[in-house]
Amino acid sequence: MITLLTMLGIPFFFGLFLCCNRNITNRKTLLSIVSLGFVATAVVTVFSWTSLLEQEITVFWLTQNLPLMFHLDRIGLLFSILALVVFLCAGFFSFSYMEHEKKERRYYGFYFLVLAILQGLCFAGNMVTYYLFFELLTLSSLPLVMQENTKEAIMAGLKYLFYSLCGAYFCLFGFYILFQNESTISFLWGGNLLADSIVAHPVLLQVAATCMIFGFSVKAGMFPMHGWLPTAHPVAPAPASAALSAVIVKAGVLGIIRVIYYQFGAFFLQGTKVQTLFLSLSLITVFMGSLLAYGEPVLKKRLAYSTVSQVSYILFGLFLLQGTAFTGSMLHVLGHGFMKASLFLCAGAIIHLTGKTRVEEFTGLGKEMPILLWCFTISSLGLIGIPPTGGFLSKWYLAIGALDSEIPFFSYVGPVVLLLSALLTAGYLLPITVKGFLPGAEFDTEKITKKEPNLWMLLPVLILTVLSVLMGILPNGLLGFLGSVFR
Amino acid sequence: MSVSLLCIVILFPMLVGALIPVLPFSNRKQMELYLFAMVVLNSLLVWTLILLHPAESLTVAKFTGNLTITFRLDGMGMVFAGLVATLWPFATLYAFEYMTKESHEKVFFFFYTMTYGVTLGIALAENILTMYFFYELLTLVTVPLVMHTLTREAILASRKYLYYSLGGAAFAFIGMIFIILYGDTISFTYGGVLDLHKIGNRVDILLLIYVFSFMGFGVKAAICPFNSWLPQAGVAPTPVTALLHAVAVVKSGAFAILRLTYFSYGMEFLRGTWAQQVVLAITSFTIVYGCGRAIKETHLKRRLAYSTISNLSYILFGAALMSPAGLVGALSHLVFHAFMKITSFFCAGAIMHQTEKHYVHELDGLGYAMPKTFTIFTLSALALMGVPGLAGFISKWNLAYAGIESGLPLGYIGVGCLLVSALFTAIYMMTIVIRGFFPGEGFDKNQVASFQDPNWKMLLPLCFFTVFILYFGLFSSSFIGFLQSLI
Repeated sequence: MITLLTMLGIPFFFGLFLCCNRNITNRKTLLSIVSLGFVATAVVTVFSWTSLLEQEITVFWLTQNLPLMFHLDRIGLLFSILALVVFLCAGFFSFSYMEHEKKERRYYGFYFLVLAILQGLCFAGNMVTYYLFFELLTLSSLPLVMQENTKEAIMAGLKYLFYSLCGAYFCLFGFYILFQNESTISFLWGGNLLADSIVAHPVLLQVAATCMIFGFSVKAGMFPMHGWLPTAHPVAPAPASAALSAVIVKAGVLGIIRVIYYQFGAFFLQGTKVQTLFLSLSLITVFMGSLLAYGEPVLKKRLAYSTVSQVSYILFGLFLLQGTAFTGSMLHVLGHGFMKASLFLCAGAIIHLTGKTRVEEFTGLGKEMPILLWCFTISSLGLIGIPPTGGFLSKWYLAIGALDSEIPFFSYVGPVVLLLSALLTAGYLLPITVKGFLPGAEFDTEKITKKEPNLWMLLPVLILTVLSVLMGILPNGLLGFLGSVFR
Repeated sequence: MSVSLLCIVILFPMLVGALIPVLPFSNRKQMELYLFAMVVLNSLLVWTLILLHPAESLTVAKFTGNLTITFRLDGMGMVFAGLVATLWPFATLYAFEYMTKESHEKVFFFFYTMTYGVTLGIALAENILTMYFFYELLTLVTVPLVMHTLTREAILASRKYLYYSLGGAAFAFIGMIFIILYGDTISFTYGGVLDLHKIGNRVDILLLIYVFSFMGFGVKAAICPFNSWLPQAGVAPTPVTALLHAVAVVKSGAFAILRLTYFSYGMEFLRGTWAQQVVLAITSFTIVYGCGRAIKETHLKRRLAYSTISNLSYILFGAALMSPAGLVGALSHLVFHAFMKITSFFCAGAIMHQTEKHYVHELDGLGYAMPKTFTIFTLSALALMGVPGLAGFISKWNLAYAGIESGLPLGYIGVGCLLVSALFTAIYMMTIVIRGFFPGEGFDKNQVASFQDPNWKMLLPLCFFTVFILYFGLFSSSFIGFLQSLI
């Protein structure tokens, strides 16, 4: 209990302290406090991973029948690791990136709050705890979206808020119905529906499941509720976009895992219209996201559309309700997290150093900042799914899972759409590399000066890129770990 | 002894109010001190009464037959009396500061304090006649408060308020006559007092009369289509709009409907009838209608008034479900909404008092000038939206639980309306919050530099209510358990 509270309390305390304390005006003081916060958070979080695994802790009761309960299972651990790694990398990246921005104190304050809430989300042991942190996540990440304080950012923030809340209320509606038809609200692999209820009103329960999955899919940016994502992610400062796009959308993914596998149970949903509906929606999103990214000239927006598409790969794998596809999805959660964070940080570094935002301006960039563009390239290759990166592995598992699932239509169309989307991914990411390194004959190489970003910016990008490659080269530990989850 | 307290707590505030114009106060401070001491004393008496909890009743007057003016403290009365007694001293404290900018204070406090006694009369009424008597009295003592500023607008508003309330009371009167005719007794008895033998084949007429009296009492609870008096009455000074038009007066209407439904007609008699369908449909509609109008409204206090209309119908929705769970939901929202709405009204009042700004679009950037007020306002907004961890979530949870449990199609639709309204609440509240904290680029801080947070007399009540909202949001088991034990 104490470990848990410390783990959640430390980043929360730092966040609150930074938000409320108006006296910190010196940038050096601020950054040292922030670094201290990051180190402390990392230490306690890593410690609690080892000491809290598979423990159930009930903290208190919100009201009767609604305990605030935490339970760190393996799935939660996976998301927790992703959140911590990406947040640390993007956090240290911010030190350099945010130096000319206003309201840095507030930015770091909410950054810590979001981190604390994300950890709470990963550790949540029942639906009401999950829902609590899910709503808080929306509210605490809102200031990050609106950080720039431009009209565009504020409108994007409002859009983000209302889409997310709309999703959250769909979840809540489903949960209201579910609550009276399940034996306990704790997460339990295989679901915990009452047998009587399954017999008595299966359609009602399917409606509830649809509402809940749909609600969480808003956060994951699935069609038709993806509209907020390409608006909200790019307007945030680059490190915040990285955190949003790599981790916070995964809160929706984790929610869907919890709903499907831990509340209703895969068995209940197998072969129902609910499965068909969401399989179709996720495939549409995969293709549509890539297509929109392909047509988008602004790099950060292009990456946001790419997130729309890539997260739906994960969702597709989940909706197949099949072991191999599940493994593929989980691999992609990690892989996409690392790669997308790395790509967003690269975009941020480019904006910070050159002020260029549009893809056609990037000609010759490889001569100016070769290391950065190499990282960008490797992460792009991962996202496309070229071996030996992590992206290849996850897509391989997803395709095999789809073929094995023997769901009519989707088992064939699924892999085809995934492949088409991979082609499009290559189409929207690789030209940046190609133009960057090979600007063409008429490009004037005389004017080029080395502009490689400093270590604060470069190191996080390098770490994330290396992690995504390592996943592809040495996957066995991870695969064994995931194998123990899907029973 | 403890029985006589029933009468004392009602008469004492009336006496205190009546003495204000008579007593020779040499300055304002003396009057404040006298008034505050007396109000606190009366609240202490109410709480003593609740703790002693005398079971017997006290008859003070006897008309013909079984028509008596009788007081008794039962569970529901305890909830309402306790709520009013808790809020009144704080509202009085707030009013001292607020009224420094208004004229003829003595008249104001004369009626304001009398209302305290009258409201307690409704809470402690033992039978429907007593409740009706105080219900009419409440209209009469609050009309001068609405009229207070004596502008043309205020006079029109108070006239409307008077006509609406008297008209509603007339319908309620019909309901009362039928209870007297067809009931075993006029006392409030949980489960109802109707005598089925006397009714015979006139069930439909009684149901029609129920709908009439529901709407009649519903006028005070601002049910659609009888809601237009409430936003207009917002011309009254903020202590009136906050305490009377968010708690005392409007909740008297809701309280009367709860009494009528559960203690006079009885839920067995009503459940499953067309009358229930009608009132469910009307309340569900009002829930959404109120919120929709709130979004459209740009005047801050009127926006909150529309929000009150919607939230009052939450309570009535609980009443219309006609089940024990519905009563628990209704009572919990009756209490929690009181705290949330009085907080947001007091914040609005503090903003108006400090800055003379009345419209939402004038509030840009005020979050920097009045951080404490705006933070508390944000909290109340989140609570009204039903963010878990705050009181609003718990009461909505209870209402939705009852709605789903009823199994009625209109129950499900009503729960859907609750969630739609939650989204609308987010729209009309969060736009204010975001305006306050994110004024957008080009905003000049000097515009708000002259404004600051109000003094302790206004902040103390706000802080106190905030603690309540948080406390009930996190640890409501014992309170909800208490509500369930009433049934």
